[in-house]
Amino acid sequence: MSLTDLIYLSQKSLRSNILRSVLTSLGIIIGVSSVITMISIGTGARQEVEEQIERFGSNNLIVRSQSSSSRGVSMGANSVNTLTLKDMEALKEELPAISAIAPRVSLSTQIVANGNNWLTSVTGTTNDHFNLSNWNFELGRKFQEDELNKGSRVAVIGKTVQKNLFGTDSPIDEVIRINKVPFTIIGLLEAKGGTVWADLDDTIVVPLKTAKQRLVGKKFPGDQIRSMTINVSSTELLFKTEKDIDTVMRKLHKISANGNPDFVIRNYAQFLNARQESSRVMSILLATVAGISLIVGGIGIMNIMLVTVTERTKEIGVCMSVGAKKRDILLQFLIESLMISLIGGCIGIALGLGVIFGVSEYFNWKMSLDYISLVLSFVFSSSIGIIFGFYPARKAANLNPIDALRYE
Amino acid sequence: MIKINSLSKEYVMGDNKLLAINNVDVLIKEGEFVSVMGSSGSGKSTLMNIIGCLDTPSSGDYFFKDNNISSLNSNKLAELRNKEIGFVFQNFNLLPRLNALENVVLPLLYSGKNSKERNKLALNALESVGLKDRTHHRPNQLSGGQQQRVSIARAIAGTPKLILADEPTGALDSTTSLEIMKIINELNSKGITIILVTHEDDIAKHASRIIKMKDGKIIEDKKNVSN
Repeated sequence: MSLTDLIYLSQKSLRSNILRSVLTSLGIIIGVSSVITMISIGTGARQEVEEQIERFGSNNLIVRSQSSSSRGVSMGANSVNTLTLKDMEALKEELPAISAIAPRVSLSTQIVANGNNWLTSVTGTTNDHFNLSNWNFELGRKFQEDELNKGSRVAVIGKTVQKNLFGTDSPIDEVIRINKVPFTIIGLLEAKGGTVWADLDDTIVVPLKTAKQRLVGKKFPGDQIRSMTINVSSTELLFKTEKDIDTVMRKLHKISANGNPDFVIRNYAQFLNARQESSRVMSILLATVAGISLIVGGIGIMNIMLVTVTERTKEIGVCMSVGAKKRDILLQFLIESLMISLIGGCIGIALGLGVIFGVSEYFNWKMSLDYISLVLSFVFSSSIGIIFGFYPARKAANLNPIDALRYE
Repeated sequence: MIKINSLSKEYVMGDNKLLAINNVDVLIKEGEFVSVMGSSGSGKSTLMNIIGCLDTPSSGDYFFKDNNISSLNSNKLAELRNKEIGFVFQNFNLLPRLNALENVVLPLLYSGKNSKERNKLALNALESVGLKDRTHHRPNQLSGGQQQRVSIARAIAGTPKLILADEPTGALDSTTSLEIMKIINELNSKGITIILVTHEDDIAKHASRIIKMKDGKIIEDKKNVSN
């Protein structure tokens, strides 16, 4: 008996009781849609994390000043700058795992250019800032050595600043006034897009020396800086280096191992891991739902197939009397349960796609759907059909022809 | 064609043993038309089921065309039922979801014929029982006599050598019964061996030989002179 004939006979009997067939596949429907949703939440979260690492620069640690309360007096979060360029040099010296450090001073201020006003944050730093945070130039260039050394009034601006001050016009060689000080624009950064908490493109970058001399001299006297971005040569060394930095900084700042530090080390990986963790928990939850409903769905199929075999005992006897072999009967019932589970799988995929679409619309979660999860759903549902359909099918095939024929 | 030697069939029901067939010997030649008669419980249906390879004897030998049936496995038996034997049942036993043509095609599906050949054979069979215009009717859209004719068409579609009819007219009125018997007679005249189980004398007398059974034994086996 050919496969097409078997499928033809199976669909005839499934269609004769459509409601039952659909109800039977309900477990598979729920299971498969959960599997699809689960996988797309998982891959979506992973992709988002990877993208963010890409945007912030991988293997970066950020050391930031923090008002120390070790003397019992808190000076307020932003009022004290405890980091200095000396710390930066010392870290570079002591820890070979550090490949580059970008120092940073910053202020929020009003910018005037082209007759427009814009409030943004100005960063004073070195060329390492562009490298470490994966900034690319849409137009223009980085700072030149002598610009950095002399403290020239040059600036690189982000996409948002360009849009608000110059529209779509090229800002290169235009003059902007930061705190009334004129700067010449030498570069425009490529857009990075926003994150949940900030618009990364809303930025102006000037040489560190220029910033200290002309913009933030009072706020950051001497060689004080606000923070530094530290690039570690490899991911494996990230956490060890974080500890080493802590040790070195405590030594430099003469803080005991259990004293309150006057600096804080931020690790993007940690932050992103936490994000990944929460979507992992979600995935585990869905995987549990999927697993349970697939098993319950399978048992449902087995149950209904057993009922069907009993109901159709006489029919099985008739088929045997006209020459059906055990194999023919086995295959027919297996194909019936396979069809139930596959149809359930298809409906489940459709439902899953709907859920994915809905969730990504309403919660603004990044969800990613790949063909692997579709293939996986098909494999899942068909193997459920075969595994749980096998026992009833074998029961049907092993019927004694005459007993089956006589069954009323 | 059929040779049965000291064949017995025993059913175990709880503690009781029931001897449905008790040491029976029969010889049926090709082309014969045999009626098996007897009251219910006489063992006539059991004997027919064994001849039809639907059931197996407890002891004794059954040779079909010189093949010892007890040495065949279930696949070989299925093949034998498919190719050599056609069944006609009292309750027609048509599959309710399939139309007349599909019901007749069923045995041909299991014999692995291609769909063109299948349809040709099935249509021929339906034509020979006079139902060519009812091919797409389902069993519940057909009268009892028509259903039985579909089931005869199903029995002969695979061109078997032996037709086993178990009370084929038991569920039909007398006029329809005569029509059915006419068809069965025609089949026999084409050389198909017929074994007909019945308890009605009127039906049995169509056969050329009548075997009477009682309590699992053959009590009479004679040529039907009235025919």
